[in-house]
Parts: sequence; C-alpha cells; structure tokens
Amino acid sequence: MENNKLNRLEIITKTLSQDLLGGRINILLGWEKGHYWWQSRPLFIRNEKELGNLVWDSFCAINLSRYLPELLKDYDKIGVLVKGCDSRAFNRLLQDNMVDRSRIVLYGLPCMGMLDYEMLLAEAGQEIDSIDEKNEMVIVQTKDGKKQVDRSKVLMAKCRDCLYPEPVVYDQMLGEPFDRKQPPERFNRVADLERLTDNERYTYWEKEFSRCLRCYACRQACPFCSCIECFVEQENPRWLGKAYQPSENFIFHLVRAYHGAGRCIDCGECERVCPVNIPLQEMNRKLIKDINELFGEYEAGLNASEEPPLLTYKPDDPSAFSEE
Amino acid sequence: MVKMIAVNKLDELFSLLAETSELYLPIKNGEVVLYQQWQPGSLVTLDKTNSAVSPKDIFLPRDETYLQYRLCGRQLEMDSVEDVGDIIAFGIHPCDLKAIEMLDRVFIEQDPPDALYRERRNKTVVIALACDSPDPFCFCQEFGIDPLDAPGADIMAHLTDQKLIFHTRTEKGRELLLKAGNLLEEYKGAQVDKIIKTADFGLNVEGLVDNLQDRFTDPVWDELYLSCLSCGICTYVCPTCYCFDIEDYGNESAGERFRCWDSCMFGDFTQMAGGHNPRAGRKERVRQRFMHKLQYYPREFGDIACVGCGRCLRSCPVNLDIVQVIKKLGGVKDA
Amino acid sequence: MSSTLKESSPEFEPLIVAFCCNWCSYAGGDLAGTSRMNYPANVKVIRVPCCGRMSPMFVLRAFQMGADGVLVAGCHPGDCHYSTGNYHGRRRLSAFKRLVEFAGLEKERFAVRWISSSEGDKFAEEMRLITDKIKALGPNRKMRDTRWKTIN
Repeated sequence: MENNKLNRLEIITKTLSQDLLGGRINILLGWEKGHYWWQSRPLFIRNEKELGNLVWDSFCAINLSRYLPELLKDYDKIGVLVKGCDSRAFNRLLQDNMVDRSRIVLYGLPCMGMLDYEMLLAEAGQEIDSIDEKNEMVIVQTKDGKKQVDRSKVLMAKCRDCLYPEPVVYDQMLGEPFDRKQPPERFNRVADLERLTDNERYTYWEKEFSRCLRCYACRQACPFCSCIECFVEQENPRWLGKAYQPSENFIFHLVRAYHGAGRCIDCGECERVCPVNIPLQEMNRKLIKDINELFGEYEAGLNASEEPPLLTYKPDDPSAFSEE
Repeated sequence: MVKMIAVNKLDELFSLLAETSELYLPIKNGEVVLYQQWQPGSLVTLDKTNSAVSPKDIFLPRDETYLQYRLCGRQLEMDSVEDVGDIIAFGIHPCDLKAIEMLDRVFIEQDPPDALYRERRNKTVVIALACDSPDPFCFCQEFGIDPLDAPGADIMAHLTDQKLIFHTRTEKGRELLLKAGNLLEEYKGAQVDKIIKTADFGLNVEGLVDNLQDRFTDPVWDELYLSCLSCGICTYVCPTCYCFDIEDYGNESAGERFRCWDSCMFGDFTQMAGGHNPRAGRKERVRQRFMHKLQYYPREFGDIACVGCGRCLRSCPVNLDIVQVIKKLGGVKDA
Repeated sequence: MSSTLKESSPEFEPLIVAFCCNWCSYAGGDLAGTSRMNYPANVKVIRVPCCGRMSPMFVLRAFQMGADGVLVAGCHPGDCHYSTGNYHGRRRLSAFKRLVEFAGLEKERFAVRWISSSEGDKFAEEMRLITDKIKALGPNRKMRDTRWKTIN
C-alpha cells in the first residue's frame, strides 16, 4: 500500500503538473507536510517547485474549498484537491453563490478517512516512528516493533461517521474508489443527549460552552459560514458583545448552528479546529436529524441545484408544536 | 526554604489555600487542561506539559468589569469594581512565567501603569512548576528559557517520584509555605539534575529582529498569509498576546464597562468609525502579528515575544504557527 | 448548575413575550381586547408583520433579558396574509424549537401557536394557558444574562 501510495502521488503530481504548466489552472490548492509527519498544512501551488512539496496521505484533514471565495479575486482559474467532504463543501459554497463553477477545476480524491495522531499514540503506548497503511489496518512502528491497529479505531472523530468518502462533484478523479465498512449510526451521540432531562442537557452544554474562547475558528473553518457580515460583528443591532458570559456563549453557538440548519454538510471541521474540544458537531447533527424527521431526508452539499429545506416549504409540513 | 508534600495529599493543600485565596491551577475540563479556579472535586493535572490556553487570564482575565454606571435622575453615578483578593497561581511553567514577565513590561512598567493588571499581579503568589517531559511542540530552549527553572517565581516546584517539592525564592513564597503549616514536610533529598531537550526545529533567531526592520514590504508576506483562516485561536492561546477591547453593556439608564480579550486576527480589529480599515486583508493582519512578535515588541522591550510554549503549533487549524513563520523569514540554522 | 431553577412561589409573576403577526394573531388580540376578554398582564405583545419575520435571535434575546416564556403566534397555515410567510415560519420555528429544547430549555417555555384574527377567545385562552404553565415551571434562569439584573 505504501508503494501504491507513492505511485498514486506520482500520478496525481504528473496530472497536476500538466494542468499547471498547460494553463488549465493558474494556482492549485493542495497539502504539504507540517512540522511533523502527522501534520499537514494547506499548500498554494503556482509552479513546479511548489508542486514538489505536495502530499496526499491520511493526515490531510484541512478543507481546501474554504479558500476558494477569496482566491477567486486574485486568480483566474483555480484547481483544488477535494476529498468527499471537501467536495460537498464546494457544493455548499456554490449554492451560496460564493464561487464561480466555471473557474474552478476540482480534482477528486476518494478518502479512507483521516487518522488521529493522539489516538495512534494511545494505541502505540509510546512514541511512533512511522506508520504503514494496508486497507483497513494501520501498522504502527515503534522502537519495540510493529503493532496492527484497526483503522476504524484511530480515525479522526469527524471521519468516523462519514457517509460520503468519495467526492460527489469533480472534474477529474485522481484516485480509485474503494470498499468501506458501513459507518456507525451518526446520530447516536445526539440520541444519547436527547434521552437526558432538560436540566441535565443544559448543564452539559453550559459546561461545554464555558470553555468557549469565542475565537470563531469554528465559523472561519466552516463552509456554510460565508456571510460578508456575520451577526457577531453587527453593531446595529448588537446581538453579541465580546464578553464571555454564559448566555452569550450559548447564543453564539445556538444561532450559528441554526444558521446552518439544512445547510450544514456535517464535515466536522468546526469540531476539529476547536482549541478547547467543544462537541460542536452534536448541535449541527441535532438539526440534521430533526430536519430529516420533519421535512424528509436531506443531505446538504450533494446536489448544488437542490433547494435547502429551510429555504423552501410544503403546504402539508407538520405543525409539530404541541407540548404534549 | 525547601518543603515537600506527597502528591496524594495535594487536595488538602489546595483546600487550605483556597480558603483565603483564589487558587488557579491546571484543571482538566472536558478533554483539555485549562488554568481555572480550584473547587473541591477539580481534576488537577500537574503532569501534562501544557494547558490548551495560557494562564495569562489570571492577570488579564478574558473579561473584567471595572466600572458600573447608573443614571439617578439627572446625575450619573459610577462605581469602580475593584475587589481583587489574594491570588495563587499554581503550576505555572517557566515559559508561561517568562511570558507574564513580558506582559509586565507592557502593563506595569509604563507611566501610567495599568492599575487592573498591576493589582492582580501584585496580589499573586506564583508557584512555578518545572517541566521534565516536554512534548513535541515545546521549544522554549530556542529562546533561552530553562524548562526546569523559572527565575521570576515566588516558589519553584518540582514534581518527582509522587512528591511535589517546593523551593522558595521570595519572601512572599516563604510566607505562603509557612501558612500551609504541617501539611508540608521538610525535604532533605538531593537536588536532582536533569538534562531536558525541547524540540529542535532548527531555528536561529539571532539577528532576526534587526533583519526584519526593513522587511515590511517584503514579498514573503504575500505567500505567508494565504492559509490563515483569520480566526483568533493563536492570539487567544498565546501567552504573550495581550490585545484587548473595551466594551459597554447596558442601556441609557444603567450599565457596566468591561475590558475583554480581542484578536488582531479578526477582520474588524482595526475597523474604524467611518468605514476605514487599514488591515482589512489577511495579509496585513498576518504580517502585523508576526512583525509585532518578532520586531516591534523586541525593539521596544528587548525579548522576542515568543516563549516556545508550542500552543500555536498545536492549535492552529492550518499549522501557520510561529515556527513556520520564523523559518520562512530565514531564521534557521545553516544546514 | 449555575442557573438552578428557583422553586416557583405564589408571588412569582412570569414575564412572557408574545410575538404576534400583525394580520392574524395581533388582530385576534385586538378582538380579545374589544370583546373585553381577560388575559393575564404577564404577556407583553410585540407585533411583527408575519411569523415568517421571526428570527431565532429575537427569541434568544428575550430569554437573555429575563423572559420566562416566549410565544410566537401566526396565521393558520394556508391563511398567511403574505401567502407563504407562515409556511417558511413553520419550518424555521419547528427546527428552532427543537434546537432550544436540545440545549436544555423546557419545552413549555417556547411555544408556537396559530391564531386567526377572528379567534379572540383563542388568543385569550392561549395567553392564559401559557402564563399558567410558566407560573408552574418557575422563573427561567437558562441563557439569562446575569448582568441584566445589575442594570435593572
């Protein structure tokens, strides 16, 4: 698999190089290694030299579609590598008229899920020299030898329940589709919370939101958060101040989740980027679950021409407001 | 004075100290460690190298109300809110304490000083904790900081073999240990000398400050900013960042004024009345932040405003951390 | 929990904010008034053109500022003065109601009702009902901005 990976990267790089030099794209968004082998950062490629730094491995979690709206101001044709979630993020941006489809070339990459370094460390029990990936197994190499770990055990939280690992929109597919296990039911955690009493739930969320720094990383990383003026920055009326009051923290998160109702693609970037580990996806998933139940099954980001459920209606929608 | 306490007796000590002071220590909250006020049942975590957010909020709280106003008829009444009790900052790492000393230069060693910050700082006893197991993101030694010793602490503590050993450095520290009475025992063990190596990113910051003097328009900034998401994570986790905003909460008849953290990475940080925004773009903001850390602050105060705590390396969602920036600016050792 | 509910006391008078759409429910409220039907003074009515104009931020702001209950009243689906306003409102408010309940708010505290302009009696009845329910629940502390009490 390691050899296959290197060959695949070569094929990817060759295709991209042709497009870059041939003028199909002026700039390409990809990933390069961070400080350590288990980190990656976005790479903005304009020439062969920069292309040499490109990587595609199980630590490329960052959603590159997020950079498109602003890059479109400076570059005519942009190429972007997209995993399953990133391609749905692209559809989300397209639906919100934040990107121009004709100026973007999407290179699709089927994704087996990104790995979580902390979980790998926990499985290894000590410092890891390197890993090897063979289908559903990850082989962890430490100074004491090798250990085989089930891939599903060390996936990043946001990848564990992924329903769309293959890009749903692309101009060119640069990888092979693969078989994967049926992921666990993604609303399990929401259902657990629903079973608590009102006060227990409030206490839970109060504790989680008490850590919120109001750094707005969740908003910045999110594909549906593309308002030119966010409600947080509005002065007239001033919905939120800058204080770290419990009520303001609650309101920020509730309103942000609500603004994403019917638009959230469940990519989990919000939860991944949060520096204090607030379980943001559970709020978003609650809305997805409810909208599925109330207005019919709907997955945001699959089809850019389909209207999101809260922008439309049916005369016979349920009036589910009874308190009984 | 050298004293010690068994790790399993620490809760008793914390309980005693918390009776008369606000006791801040690294506490496990959810999946992260944060410096918070001790309460019975707090999961104090002294062996994890670094908290998710620096302890600067002990001195520069995330928000602090300092004024309340009220309209009584046609009179405006104002009350200052200034009840700062005694504070104990427990388990501060040498990197974070060095950073607090950098903040002291900005808030206290000025004329006039920042009264709110100074009050909190003066009322605090700092118990520093040595780090003997740095994580892959710690690089304090690049800035001449010793992970085992914090010169500015009132008490220097070492965790060893299920015991916490306290070495007092100042009179304030002595007084605090005396208060603990016979919860603490004498320590007569030998001084353990350890060799610690923090991460080596190949940095060389010598001459960097001067080198950056005329690089405001350097094309390197056109590349560096591209991946920045413009969130506020780096500024909020960073121990040397100190930008704040002042806001009012209230209406025409009553309200309060508070100071709160602000981030230069936010799009509206430099938004002015009238609509002008000199740092409307990410490039301007990224350049500003790193020039501040690596040029403007050291030019005024001497030290590069980074202590190698590693939080931005850990928390930046796109790995655009200060090590990456220093490397791109050429602050690397020759191969 | 920092916002423990105080036990409801006989002296507790809840503050309830009712967002009423101009054409149906507000008119219904007018009818209740002109017909001299009694409903509790605990309810403070805010008129909006249509329940489709409702923003979740209004509801949350009300709770932040000390409301113990919030009611949104609109035209019956199919009768909206703007044809489709309340269809949108229905979808939005259903999703939002479930979200605030997920956050831990008691389900009685935020209610949505359809009241037509001819249903003065229903208007009065609903206001009475919600006041009684909230009175039994006690004051709301969830999502309340604790600074509000210092300025009022």
